[in-house]
Amino acid sequence: MELFASQLLNGLSLGSLYGLFGIGFGLVFATLGILNAAQGCYASWAAIAALVVAERAGLPFPLIMFAGMGAAAVVAVIVDQMGFQPLRARGADMLGALITSIAFWMILDSLAGFATGQQSLSFPPQSYPGQMLLTQPVPLPAMQLIAILALVVVAIGTHLLMTRSAIGSAIRAVGWNPVSAALSGVNSRYVIMLTAALSGAISGLAGTLGGVLTSNVSFTLGQGLMLKGFAAVVVGGYSDVRGTAIAGVVLGILEVFVGQYFSASYRDAFTYSLLLVFLLVKPQGLFGKGSFVRA
Amino acid sequence: MDNLSDLWATYRSTVAFAMVNAMFALSTYVVLSAGFLSFSTVVFGAMGGFVGAQMVIHGLPLAIVFIVSGLAGLLVSMVVAAVFLRLNSHWMALASLALVLITRVVVLNATTLTGGVNGLGIPMALPLDWLTGILVLTVLAFYALYHSWFGIASRVLREDPSVAACMGVDLRKVQFIAFGISGIVGGVGGAAMAMLLQYISPDTFFLGIAFTMIAATVLGGSYHWFGPVLGAAVYTALPSLMQFIVPSLQDVANGVFLLLIMVFLPRGLIDPRAMRLRRSAKGRSS
Repeated sequence: MELFASQLLNGLSLGSLYGLFGIGFGLVFATLGILNAAQGCYASWAAIAALVVAERAGLPFPLIMFAGMGAAAVVAVIVDQMGFQPLRARGADMLGALITSIAFWMILDSLAGFATGQQSLSFPPQSYPGQMLLTQPVPLPAMQLIAILALVVVAIGTHLLMTRSAIGSAIRAVGWNPVSAALSGVNSRYVIMLTAALSGAISGLAGTLGGVLTSNVSFTLGQGLMLKGFAAVVVGGYSDVRGTAIAGVVLGILEVFVGQYFSASYRDAFTYSLLLVFLLVKPQGLFGKGSFVRA
Repeated sequence: MDNLSDLWATYRSTVAFAMVNAMFALSTYVVLSAGFLSFSTVVFGAMGGFVGAQMVIHGLPLAIVFIVSGLAGLLVSMVVAAVFLRLNSHWMALASLALVLITRVVVLNATTLTGGVNGLGIPMALPLDWLTGILVLTVLAFYALYHSWFGIASRVLREDPSVAACMGVDLRKVQFIAFGISGIVGGVGGAAMAMLLQYISPDTFFLGIAFTMIAATVLGGSYHWFGPVLGAAVYTALPSLMQFIVPSLQDVANGVFLLLIMVFLPRGLIDPRAMRLRRSAKGRSS
């Protein structure tokens, strides 16, 4: 029973990372229509930047997290403006953006490999809250709770931002049709940069927390997050933040339990099969609404 | 003369890889030219690669190896087409990406066919004349297809499916044919890749090769059959060239190059539309 409970917690915190990353990934996909293969690099770079800050400056953990998020936001805006803006200006389709994002993925990944010296680094133990909050009835490390709370806060915050605020409507309007958004007084270039920064920051948070939780800061960190975050976005329905968050958590829990009680080698098979089933049977995801396009 | 043969010895494998990548790029191109971005060529390649590897290990002649690998690819492509063609193009790209992820897990666990994590060693190198012959045949077939009923129908379908349907093009049929060709070419390419590397593992046919084939296709130009061939050549030669110039930043340089192409030449190196425009502009001015 204790094993079950602690594995449930492991799954919850792992799933929170997937959900967090997925929210960042899905934000750009749902509003700007870009399937961004470089999104995983934002997470890796956030973790690397946070690690540098933690080692050099010795700041408290919240500031380290913000440093990671800020770095990822900057990288995301640079990628968007250098890679996607020229295509957008020309009215190119999703395929072009996917290829440019692959180009950035290659660039950022190998630079990340350089930055870490092709090894997996980890945060110095005094830089994050490493203690247990509880030992009875189940062991609860502080970092797991922080990851779960981060998902809850970001999911609710992003959902409210997208549905209830003027900025959210502007983002959705630009995603739907940049020209008509501009006609109603929205500065679409500014909004697009804001969306990219927001998405980068959220994925960066997932990367920083993931770097601490898994003690792995390298370019492989972002790759793992990206594949599972992508699954979370599709299963949850990419037009809804809540769906992504829930799907991420469910996938994390399933992954841990399949690994624990079934077979470790089928862990990924299970996640990806679920992804494929959803794409085939319910492509709009758990919470998504049907989209209408010209025939 | 000695210098020339030295050069050939150095770049022989680059040429061979360029040819195999051209097969993969053509396989991606034929589906793309019918309006679908699909990563499933990786799956066809994996099927052809592992089936081909097993046949080589069991000592079957090369001709049979390639034919059966192509048929294995065709079989997989028909299943994929039957299941995936219900999706519209956006979801199709995602579903095929998911299929690539699943393929790796299947390959890891189907140990009797694939050798699992350890992969398979192949006790024979691919003769270069075979590879050249296969590529020439494939390219001739694509040349014929480009000017055939299928080529015209698929180009119309890509530009506007509704118009194509109104003109009496059977969309399903064109899409199935496109996937079938992609399956055969991908399967044969997979077998060639296996023999070229002389070793294949679950990571041989994964995201890296998926992105390579898409990048090669778009780089060369996805509107003409020669585009993918040229794209594969450039994309394969580039790393060895960059290794020469900036050895430690090879991947970064590749990425930057791809990025520059996308930003400045979004329709690829070979673009029939630009060529026609240039020709007609010249005709008017003279």
